[in-house]
Amino acid sequence: MINATKKWIFLKISGAILVPLKLWFILNLITIYDQDYVNVVSFFNNLSSRFLFSIFIINAYFFSALSISEVFEDYIKNNKIKNVANRFLYTSAVVIPLITIILISNL
Amino acid sequence: MENKSPLSPHIQIYRWHISSLVSISHRITGIINIIAITLICLWASLLLLGESNYEIINLFLSSLVGKFIILGLTWSFSFQILSEIRHLIMDLGYGFELKTTKISGLIVIFGSIILTVISYLIGKNFF
Repeated sequence: MINATKKWIFLKISGAILVPLKLWFILNLITIYDQDYVNVVSFFNNLSSRFLFSIFIINAYFFSALSISEVFEDYIKNNKIKNVANRFLYTSAVVIPLITIILISNL
Repeated sequence: MENKSPLSPHIQIYRWHISSLVSISHRITGIINIIAITLICLWASLLLLGESNYEIINLFLSSLVGKFIILGLTWSFSFQILSEIRHLIMDLGYGFELKTTKISGLIVIFGSIILTVISYLIGKNFF
């Protein structure tokens, strides 16, 4: 299996997993965005909310990194710029969710 | 080094169709959503700073502008959900006929508005 096929399969699997997670996320975002500190913290302290939020951001960054790299492939002609952009993208996709999960675990 | 492989043609070359509108909107909402998720990660992380710092963010989010942003994000996520389902159905080999692509595109556009309203009402416990 070539890399492009593997990338396509990962994109489709993560996209399908994201559909119910996005729905869960928007429903909860609407519920908590204007709540006070105690309620928002208790949302993130709830084990199932924290677990689903963590899975959601990991999957969302993974999916976005793959999708945005496709956009780079389509519109960036210079290989050097494309490689730098892709490296920055993939590093962010690992670092941002990881730091967020560590921080919300300490709430 | 310049890449010799062909790039996507510029969007203004083609006449606009429902499918092209849904396709470009899918990409734009995808970028909006990941920026929003990044800001939400930052918001969640800032909770560590304590209640007094949270008040500033809470004031902004509770304002009319904050509510408008949340509603806009709800639409953006709703659009992505329906557009992703459309993509997955097409990946299974269905819905490539011209008429079907127009209908499914319209379902994504109008369905995202309906899903936004329903999500907002459920989220705010109106049901």
